[in-house]
Amino acid sequence: MKKTSFFDKAGTRSVLASLVAILIGMLAGGVVILAVGLTNPALGLSGAWEGIRLVVGGLFATGRTASGQLTFGFNPASFGNMLFRAVPLIMTGLSVALGNKAGLFNIGAPGQYLAGTAASLYVALSVPTNVVPSWLVWFVALLAGMLAGALWGSIPGLLKAYLNINEVLACIMTNWISANLVTWIFDISNLKNMLEGTKSGYIYKTSTIMNDVIIDGVRQTVGAAVPEGAQVVATRGGVATGKMGLDQLFSGSQVNAGILVAILIAVVIYILLAKTTLGYQLKACGANRYAARYAGIQDRRNIVLTMALAGALAAAGGALYYLSGNTEFFWNTYQSLPGEGFNGIPVALLAINNPLGVVFSAVFMSMLQICGQKLTELTAYNEYITNVIIAVIVYLSAFMLVIKTWIGKLRSRKAVDK
Amino acid sequence: MPFLIRQTLVYAVPLMLVALAGVYAERSGIINLALEGIMIFGAFMGVLFVRFVQQWGWFEPAYVDKNYLSLQFFCFLAMLFAAAMGALFSLLLAFAAINLKADQTIGGTALNLLAPALVLFFIRLIANQNTLNMDHGDAASWFMLKKSMFGYGRKQEMGFLGSTFVDKVYVATYICILVFIIMAIILYKTRFGMRLRSCGENPQASASLGINVVGMRYAGTVISGALAGMGGFVYVLTTANCSANGDVAGFGFLALAVMIFGNWKPGNICGAALLFGLFKCIAASYSTLDINGDGVYMLKNLNINTNIYRMLPYVITLVVLAFTSKSSRAPKAEGIPYDPGKR
Amino acid sequence: MDHENDFVIEMLHITKEFPGIKANDDITLQLRRGEIHALLGENGAGKSTLMSVLFGLYQPEQGEIRKDGKPVKINNPNDATALHIGMVHQHFKLIEVFTVLDNIILGAEDTKLGFVQRKEARKKVEELSKRYGLAVDLDAKVENITVGMQQRVEILKMLYRDNEILIFDEPTAVLTPQEIVELMQIMKGLAREGKSILFISHKLNEIMEVSDRVSVLRKGRYIGTVNTKDTTAVELSRMMVGHDVQLVVDKAPAQPGETVLKVTDLHVASRLYKHDAVKGVSFEVRKGEIVCIAGIDGNGQSELVFGLSGLEKCTGGKIELGGVDITHAPIRKRSEAGVSHIPEDRHKHGLVLDFTLEQNMVLQAFEEPRFAHMGFIRFGEVRKYAERLIEEYDVRSGQGPITMARSMSGGNQQKAIIAREIDRDLPLLLAVQPTRGLDVGAIENIHKQIVAQRDEGKAVLLVSLELDEVMNLSDRILVMYEGEIVGELDPKETTVEELGLYMAGAKRQDRKKEARA
Repeated sequence: MKKTSFFDKAGTRSVLASLVAILIGMLAGGVVILAVGLTNPALGLSGAWEGIRLVVGGLFATGRTASGQLTFGFNPASFGNMLFRAVPLIMTGLSVALGNKAGLFNIGAPGQYLAGTAASLYVALSVPTNVVPSWLVWFVALLAGMLAGALWGSIPGLLKAYLNINEVLACIMTNWISANLVTWIFDISNLKNMLEGTKSGYIYKTSTIMNDVIIDGVRQTVGAAVPEGAQVVATRGGVATGKMGLDQLFSGSQVNAGILVAILIAVVIYILLAKTTLGYQLKACGANRYAARYAGIQDRRNIVLTMALAGALAAAGGALYYLSGNTEFFWNTYQSLPGEGFNGIPVALLAINNPLGVVFSAVFMSMLQICGQKLTELTAYNEYITNVIIAVIVYLSAFMLVIKTWIGKLRSRKAVDK
Repeated sequence: MPFLIRQTLVYAVPLMLVALAGVYAERSGIINLALEGIMIFGAFMGVLFVRFVQQWGWFEPAYVDKNYLSLQFFCFLAMLFAAAMGALFSLLLAFAAINLKADQTIGGTALNLLAPALVLFFIRLIANQNTLNMDHGDAASWFMLKKSMFGYGRKQEMGFLGSTFVDKVYVATYICILVFIIMAIILYKTRFGMRLRSCGENPQASASLGINVVGMRYAGTVISGALAGMGGFVYVLTTANCSANGDVAGFGFLALAVMIFGNWKPGNICGAALLFGLFKCIAASYSTLDINGDGVYMLKNLNINTNIYRMLPYVITLVVLAFTSKSSRAPKAEGIPYDPGKR
Repeated sequence: MDHENDFVIEMLHITKEFPGIKANDDITLQLRRGEIHALLGENGAGKSTLMSVLFGLYQPEQGEIRKDGKPVKINNPNDATALHIGMVHQHFKLIEVFTVLDNIILGAEDTKLGFVQRKEARKKVEELSKRYGLAVDLDAKVENITVGMQQRVEILKMLYRDNEILIFDEPTAVLTPQEIVELMQIMKGLAREGKSILFISHKLNEIMEVSDRVSVLRKGRYIGTVNTKDTTAVELSRMMVGHDVQLVVDKAPAQPGETVLKVTDLHVASRLYKHDAVKGVSFEVRKGEIVCIAGIDGNGQSELVFGLSGLEKCTGGKIELGGVDITHAPIRKRSEAGVSHIPEDRHKHGLVLDFTLEQNMVLQAFEEPRFAHMGFIRFGEVRKYAERLIEEYDVRSGQGPITMARSMSGGNQQKAIIAREIDRDLPLLLAVQPTRGLDVGAIENIHKQIVAQRDEGKAVLLVSLELDEVMNLSDRILVMYEGEIVGELDPKETTVEELGLYMAGAKRQDRKKEARA
């Protein structure tokens, strides 16, 4: 009896609907892999079977045996990387979820993410760390990124609130403007990675140590090693997120304390939405803008505020990702937008816009990405299949309500059978 | 100047065709945010078609013989194929939005995510790289009109009209213009068009008059998919040397902006598309643009950063939306799932 | 010829059930050729369900439909159209951006090669319009023509399709008295030409005026059919309600005190058009009186309230509340200064349907110290408060405070709003159509509450479209016509007829002159 009521709860049904969406998404990916395998003699059924196993359990893939069999087991590097990559997804997921709660579809997360990335990188690589302690630079860089994201997010917010321009279209336009702007900013900056010589199109890692020196009266930038006779004016860089022992837990991975920061922020957003008057206002505006206005809630202010907050969250994702110090940023972004931004949409939808749920769905998404990576490494398939799966999940999320009703009907039919 | 007009058309024509695609969907009551994705899918399918047909060697003799009429026919077939595939792809949106009463914004976003994912997955499998090119030769040698075809020598001038509208032009562009005109007339002058438009305004009223709202919305979405698919292929044919890479850089969204700017009306859309095409064209080729033909690259000499030109179409879109949002009038029932029970 | 039994359409023993309610219980309706047959019943009596059955939108559990004496099966609206049944819906089924002509031919277009042949259609429509006296501008867009003309377009739509059976669903609700007279003439003309008319209404005087026979429904049941000339309005109302109607609200004479609301030369812009919807309105509402704004829908009443409540900006004039100028104050400020507001549209403005009942109860007050502490909501207090209101105002719902507002009945949704607004205990109460769409019991209850508020010394400004409500509830009547107040009447001295003349703009007082005198 008690069990029935558990399944009949709306929350349970939502979670079930999400699981169904994931299942169908994985199934669709499997079908594509199978179809390709069957039509491609180089892969065949066995190749397809390998592909399917990796899509489901790629997280546990450890490689191949000498005889070419896939091996599975606990892979600390994969686990750590999954957590590391989940950080930006949690943040963009929170960004989209917050927007959805307030009735705004924030498809502008990619642009906000870029804005946050650019601002935090700029600060982290520009402030001299011989003057300011590097932990403080890290913190200021994160804040700068969030501020940039907030500003960027508030543009479509303002347009929506005061000119009633569809936020989806405005967000898409600001995405591309952001992509071009970021390219431009780094194009004319001195942060392009020229020290390592072979790389092009990348910005320094924030952990890189750079010394601004004067050699023979000429000011220039060198690496950590200062040539003799050079006078050091300032030291920059050397900024990186703390590891807090996580790197030992998951050896060989890029994981750091960023995941803890992201979870903390998720909890804060949860409390904001569920417990505070501000959350009440935002949800009221989202559920019925007219009733909110009737009740004296300033709906316009709330729209701008929501978009600014959402922008700050997405931007924090970019900042946390690149402030890790072990990731390089490809600055020539004007032709494409970061996938982490768009993937905030499926993360939020799968989590039914619940900030705590976002943490789990983001980890799931990043697990899928690890699977895709293993697929590319170990088979002739490639990582884009995970994007197909994600897209199918988003497609299903569009009619989550229908799925929920199906589940409800299934339950009631069972009840009748009994 | 001929170059500027020619290049503007290259951008403006697919833009207005895809904007009309948006009109067909929205006038029937479905918000088609998936234009971008459908373009990507159509472009990929068109290029794939060209590639396979080249491999099968169907038009090889015509290519060797420089039988331009046959080659244009080949191009036309590829356009039709892209349109058919775009229509097929849009069925996903139609099914979700009409049968399952899904959130159309999310559904469209799903297709925008799905298209590049699928396309890149297959491009990687087929070509082992991230771009799918023609099997051999380039778009210009196969499909472009050149003055030599009309008996002009290398040094002979074709005159202003000739060098603007004939030399170095794709017939596909003109086919698109023709399709645009035909589809605009259908929308306004025929019974089908009139009924379709009524479904985007007041589907309950349409249903009360015996009009099949579900059918009309399917028709609107599928036609939208066909036009966007064709537009996507023509776009990569004329601007990217007939290659697909799972991206049209926001062109589909630009088309949506053109549609709104054009107030959902074909005539206005035509003008808006030309304006946006001009900016796109300037962004793409400002450094080699010699407007009055005196050998001075005026825009380049202005010494403005490339990124500004690239940003311009998007900035202008926002500004234009800001100014026109008050007077624009979207179809009243767009985005609202049709529920026959509601009266 | 047996005229008596020459029925064009017969609905025999129709029964239609919905979960938990019998909407139609063994209803029989027989329509004679060439008659005007009225279908009378209150809201919820089952009239619209019966019509939905006739149009194939619902399939009845029992009963049959006959056309010209032969049984027919109607599965969808197209079947009904094929049987030449047409309907003017209460909410017009028109495409606003289309021209009048396109609206008339839509769905029945003549085409050549798929192209619409408008020329022939125009000729046919012009003939029809001349023959039946239905003046329309064929090239105007529907969004730009008057409601009366829109109704004529709807009638022409039926005639263009050669319909024989014409159904009018509450056709007079949106019309001025003059337009109503015109419509009655048109209906009589149509009947003379051999069309059979079914006239759905709950307005007794109109039924007495125009119909040949009347069938009455009550709570889903068939009460009976009578010849109009053999009955009286009183008898019909008894059939409709089931007992003698107590039309008069029990209330003591008003004892107005000092002025609470003072409005001077107020202008409010229209949301739809470029001109002002409220054009220089001045009036006062005092403590302990109910002032009613009467008028036909769309004469600026809604905008006036939007202006007073702050939902719309005032373009000119002055609003004073207890001597304080609130003309440009934001909504929250007005609310704090003492305006409570029962809004016209409870789903759009009154409630957040996807919030729980308790969340809706604190829609304005959630930031007050009693419900919030340091920005955090005090959920326990909110629950206690909601439980008290539910108890005191008898708001019924499935799960009490945690019921989703969406799942509540219309009457209880309205009760919740009224509880919330009254309990805020503010000096001015704006009540806009507080009883719209509710049943008699609920209406009575709400009327009592409003009178009680007045007796407690509140100033009440009531906006109503129902003449009965206006006459019975108010202490003073202000009539609005085209954005202006054209008359101030005392309900004890005036008559419904006189009120109607003011509402139609046929009569007006020069209030400025009087004020000076």
